[in-house]
Amino acid sequence: MRLVTKTTIYFLIALVPLLTAAGFYLIKQFNKEINNRSDKELLTNEIQWIRYLQSQVENSTTVILKTTEISIFPVDAPTTIYPGLTDTYEYNENLKTRVPYRQLIHHVSIHGLPYLISIKKSQEQKAVLVANVTRIMLFVFAGLFVSTLVFNWAISRNLWKPFKNSLQKIRSAELQKMEAIHFEDTNVKEFNELNASLNYMTRKIYTDYVNMKEFTENAAHEMQTPLAVVQSKLELLLQDSNLKDDQVQSILQASSALSRLGKLNQGLLLLAKIENNQFETKEAVSITETIKKYLSLFDELIQDKQLVVETNYENDLHLPLHPFLADSLVTNLLGNAIKYNYEKGKILIVTKHQEMSISNTGAPEPLPSVNLFRRFNTSKNAGETSNGLGLAIVKKITEAIGIDIFYHADNGMHHFVLKKQGDGR
Amino acid sequence: MKILIIEDEKALQESIQKYMEHQGYICEAASDFRSGMEKISEFAYDCIIVDIGLPYGSGLEIVREIKKMELKGGIIIISAKNALEDKLKGFEFGSDDYLTKPFHLSELNARVTAIIRRRNLGGSKMIPFNEIELDAEAQRVTVNKNAIDLTEKEYQLLEYFIVNQRRVLTKAAIAEHIWGDEYVQVSNYDFIYTHIKNLRKKLVDAGSDDYIKTVYGSGYRFTDN
Repeated sequence: MRLVTKTTIYFLIALVPLLTAAGFYLIKQFNKEINNRSDKELLTNEIQWIRYLQSQVENSTTVILKTTEISIFPVDAPTTIYPGLTDTYEYNENLKTRVPYRQLIHHVSIHGLPYLISIKKSQEQKAVLVANVTRIMLFVFAGLFVSTLVFNWAISRNLWKPFKNSLQKIRSAELQKMEAIHFEDTNVKEFNELNASLNYMTRKIYTDYVNMKEFTENAAHEMQTPLAVVQSKLELLLQDSNLKDDQVQSILQASSALSRLGKLNQGLLLLAKIENNQFETKEAVSITETIKKYLSLFDELIQDKQLVVETNYENDLHLPLHPFLADSLVTNLLGNAIKYNYEKGKILIVTKHQEMSISNTGAPEPLPSVNLFRRFNTSKNAGETSNGLGLAIVKKITEAIGIDIFYHADNGMHHFVLKKQGDGR
Repeated sequence: MKILIIEDEKALQESIQKYMEHQGYICEAASDFRSGMEKISEFAYDCIIVDIGLPYGSGLEIVREIKKMELKGGIIIISAKNALEDKLKGFEFGSDDYLTKPFHLSELNARVTAIIRRRNLGGSKMIPFNEIELDAEAQRVTVNKNAIDLTEKEYQLLEYFIVNQRRVLTKAAIAEHIWGDEYVQVSNYDFIYTHIKNLRKKLVDAGSDDYIKTVYGSGYRFTDN
């Protein structure tokens, strides 16, 4: 739900009881006013009737009067000091509806004779009044509703503009280019606070990122020399003819583990270098030629596994890659297609003007696509020749030159597709 | 054959020296730029192994100086940096080869030997080992003077074995030397076995002794004792 919608709803919710209360208050006030006026009229009428009665009783005439509104007759009941004023309803034949009345009932003693005076006064206008007040209230409410919506929309559009600008900047932020992002000052204090925090945050993220990148590269780099020392010592140790079999075995195992560590280290260094844009590209390299080169290099492995390789070079794909990265890209994808294939399996390679795909038979299940291109996301069956960096390197290379890579699987075939982005750069 | 090793990491320097001496080279070592330059200007070497990151100066400068002095020795750079610019600069300044740390000593030895052989213009290009003889230029092999037909990989394998004779070689070192890093990434080292089996058979069939010894499943040694 949008913030504007939310504030509007809250505003309207608060308005409903307020307007209702105001309506009730108005009705009550008008009611009181009307009653007061009717009461005064009724009392004036009564006084006139009492005077009339007194003159008649002096003449020893008994008065009995009964009309729709007035009834006066002698009764046998105790007198009351004050007249009683009440609201009543009565059915009106003409109007076919119940009509409110204000009624005065008074037991008075006229020269010792008890009389009942009852005077009624129609209050039809009261119903009309309630209806009117309600209508006005609804009208006001509707007016407020519409104007609230319009004003909120207009105000929020203006008010939230700096916020939206900042949001847009955050959305388009890229880790590598975070240094260039700056959130400008606005004339709203809250947004300035937000932007100041965002500025601080992006700076921090960027320096952390740079530090981390440098750390990875330095750590990997500094590790090379000690690795070289250990490797050379193991190799020398291996030459000792007095060693027992199991000792040699241990040294060989240590040596192979060390080799893997060295490869891993080189992979991490390569990733760091790609991230640091250390491979400048001057011209486009032919991916088709690179594939051909590595197909012949891996020929022995392909033969060994009796793989069927189908190639379809519709068009040569050229990518603005450093030759070293092109090699790395192709060896990783092609290498995986060979490595994770079964015997007598199939590899299908297609290059087009804008895309390249390498497909292979392999595990019946599709690879879990989540984190597939993340470093060290090795699957269980990858075996020990995998260092968990291959696809991460592929992804980094494609990112560096702004092309897309997708993975999908169907009918037991695994497809890796490289695609130049829309504009066909 | 005399070799100079300029490497500031003492432990690595000693390893290299020890291995190369085992293979019949006379080795001297220097640990920084200055002592390296001193040695170069005083003595003649057939090959100089130089690290790039040295105290008091860069190994690349040493390479440049050697070229200026028009010394006849070969140069191989060893560096912790697998940086292309360094590599290119090294070659531009006149180095013959570039090896990234960590490396196998057997690999370094093979490369140093190859450099010396290439530079030894007037000398023999033949690599003998008892009844076997390799012609490094023509990549031909004879056993008891009879030529045998080896594939390219088998030839490289044999040359690597003979250059590193009597040393235990790990499968990883062999695979990386002959097939390269990329190949090793894709497969385990099992493919070596077939090639070694074939090479061994061809040599024995031609009347050679069986010099290739398997070392506990993980390595090989080419030896005549």
